[in-house]
Amino acid sequence: MLEIKDLHASVEGKEILRGINLSVKAGEVHAIMGPNGSGKSTLASVLAGNAKFTVTGGEVLFEGENLLDKPIEERARKGLFLGFQYPVEIPGVTMANFMKVAVNERRKAQGEEPLSAAEFLKLMREKSKIVELDAKLTSRAVNEGFSGGEKKKNEIFQMAMLEPKLAILDETDSGLDIDALRIVATGVTRLHTEQNATVVITHYQRLLDYIVPDYVHVLYHGRIIYSGDKSLALKLEKEGYDWLINDYKE
Amino acid sequence: MELQQLIAEGTLQPFKGDRIDDAEAVGVPLLVRASGSATIDVATRQRVHLVVLHDTAAASSIELRLGEGCSVDVTDVYTAECYAAMNVVQAEASCYRMVAVLLAGAHADYATQLNGAHAESDMYGVFVAVEREHAMVSVNTRHNVADCRSSSLVKGVAAGRATGEFRGMVYVAQDAQRTDAAQLNRNVELGAAHITSMPQLEIYADDVKCSHGTTVGRLDEEAIYYMQQRGISRREAERLQIEGFVCDVVSRCEVESLGTMLAESLNEKLQKL
Repeated sequence: MLEIKDLHASVEGKEILRGINLSVKAGEVHAIMGPNGSGKSTLASVLAGNAKFTVTGGEVLFEGENLLDKPIEERARKGLFLGFQYPVEIPGVTMANFMKVAVNERRKAQGEEPLSAAEFLKLMREKSKIVELDAKLTSRAVNEGFSGGEKKKNEIFQMAMLEPKLAILDETDSGLDIDALRIVATGVTRLHTEQNATVVITHYQRLLDYIVPDYVHVLYHGRIIYSGDKSLALKLEKEGYDWLINDYKE
Repeated sequence: MELQQLIAEGTLQPFKGDRIDDAEAVGVPLLVRASGSATIDVATRQRVHLVVLHDTAAASSIELRLGEGCSVDVTDVYTAECYAAMNVVQAEASCYRMVAVLLAGAHADYATQLNGAHAESDMYGVFVAVEREHAMVSVNTRHNVADCRSSSLVKGVAAGRATGEFRGMVYVAQDAQRTDAAQLNRNVELGAAHITSMPQLEIYADDVKCSHGTTVGRLDEEAIYYMQQRGISRREAERLQIEGFVCDVVSRCEVESLGTMLAESLNEKLQKL
């Protein structure tokens, strides 16, 4: 589904990604861990197409097609979803209106008719249950005045609405209390199928108790320096990154 | 604007007189077509709703006099480029509330005189200028006596090569103690468009609460990126954001069907961005 080959990217002339290689297949869950500043969020932003970052080398194939030459919205319509670490507030634009436009633009790109108002409302009701999102929030402006937990639930709600092939969740667990974490993580697990794939970027093992990864990768200094199975996350939780980083430096 | 339809439905009642008393204020909003100069006296304790339509290039000037304790709601709609002045003179405990929507590059000049204690004035305005239009809104509120309250919120959007202008003035006379006045102007520029904002306060009384604020900014790129990541095109993301920016003005229109119509007309105009 996703093939990243020797990806290099920089921001304001500073190289952040220094040769990333990663392959994600349908049905898989990958976790990307690593110390602060190692390039995890940059990787997510570059895949989404954030204009702040410049790709300086390598290639990315998504469903066999070159991803990097496509505009942000086209990547999204092809099924790439980014769960934001800091979801953005959009004053005056209601969640319902926002999602209606997003869902229908995607349907249009796939040659489908837009949903009727009734169909859309039904879909929204159904999907908001997955993350126990308060129905009232859908009539409020996007993320405006939402609590930290509500914002993250809202990200997963949008994921449920848009049914992406590949979801990249950038620190979706940060700033969540235990209950919100459980709800968000359970939501992600429920949305996982054999046809889609999930990449979770996280600092903590606790998220991976719910979202069990097939692979765990350690990103350090712009490269994946180590990959393993779910037991790696447990080892990192206990021992930190130093043993890996020291190995890497030697 | 298909206002004819609202007249046919009985939602609006055409009005050409110079005095509104109990007989005219029957609960149906009155429609005034602006052209030339007119004076309208409001002399009823019932709440009056006026819809003023500027749909020709004719310059116009309306003086609206609110008698003691009168309450008037105005929806001021511009669909044509023109110059128009609206002078409101308020007696004691009168209440004026206005929503202005400029769908064309018009010049709207609002002057309000608060001449009686406990008079209140709340004004909301929005302009959207595209292509080579020039839109201008001027709000001049004069607190001539003590114990009055006024507020104004004007939002401007200019795109393409359009220009926009806001001029605000809050004047507080020496005897106008305990005045409560707030003036706010928010603008968004797109492309090569330019908006000028000139808010002013002139205060001669010492026991007052006055505030003013103005911003001229661009669209929020983070919000556009966020929307694009959900599959929304940049153009549509910009349109949604502007719609969100202006909606809190339009949503204050108290004639529901007219408000809906205005929101639709604004959205149509935003398609031209």
